[in-house]
Amino acid sequence: MPLEPPRALGPFRLRVDPARAAAYARETGGDGESVPLAYPAVWLAEPSLFSVVRDLCDELDVVPVHESQSFSYDAPLVAGESYDLCVTMSREETPPRLTMVATVATSDGETCARVETMLRLVPRAGFGSAS
Amino acid sequence: MSGDIKVGDTIPETVIGPFDAPSLARYAEVSGDANPLHLDDAVAAAIGFPAPPVHGMKLLAAFEPMLRAWRDDLIISSLAGRFVQPILRGDTVRLSGRVLRATDDEIFVRLTAYGAARAPGIIGEATLRPKVGA
Repeated sequence: MPLEPPRALGPFRLRVDPARAAAYARETGGDGESVPLAYPAVWLAEPSLFSVVRDLCDELDVVPVHESQSFSYDAPLVAGESYDLCVTMSREETPPRLTMVATVATSDGETCARVETMLRLVPRAGFGSAS
Repeated sequence: MSGDIKVGDTIPETVIGPFDAPSLARYAEVSGDANPLHLDDAVAAAIGFPAPPVHGMKLLAAFEPMLRAWRDDLIISSLAGRFVQPILRGDTVRLSGRVLRATDDEIFVRLTAYGAARAPGIIGEATLRPKVGA
């Protein structure tokens, strides 16, 4: 059950860095010939975006634990291109959870992907510091 | 064409890992996910893990090359997974898939990743479509 109205974040203009996409492919078993489907995970860790999650977790004294992830594409990402991410963040109380849904659009405004990240919010005790 | 794919078809199992600490550190650096749970033995031990868990995203992403190797005449239009239980550093990981739905336009595949535990670490799914002109 939602705890509060969803919060809109962005748009964030982010680029598929070719070297980073190739490195991401290498670390996940790919050949680097195309941008990995999971590459937007890199964007979700960008400080401009993740700082919102980190600040909320600090406020609640919880640690975000990755519960589920999805990527859905209308068109593949292209190395070197920039994209606009519009993110909707919503929080549930039972169980404590944060869901981020990102719509990825080309610089022409064409939606090409949707990314959903679900984070379980776990009390900080025992976890050290938040991710 | 995807017409030769049937419900119940299995995707050849792919074995990856075991992943060591430098491998997890490299993934943390490239992904930006520097959660100490994956990198610090003491943090993992504090919550009862004998070793740090591998980043779930590192494992979910590894289904993509498996699916591409299975059928290069299809494109993957979606990939998703639930991180059910941790797969630990040092575990050999078995990735597998089974076709649950198949039409001429779309193939829906159930994906699982197993580490050393009996239960799956990831339960996922992917949708594949024929490449235009294939």
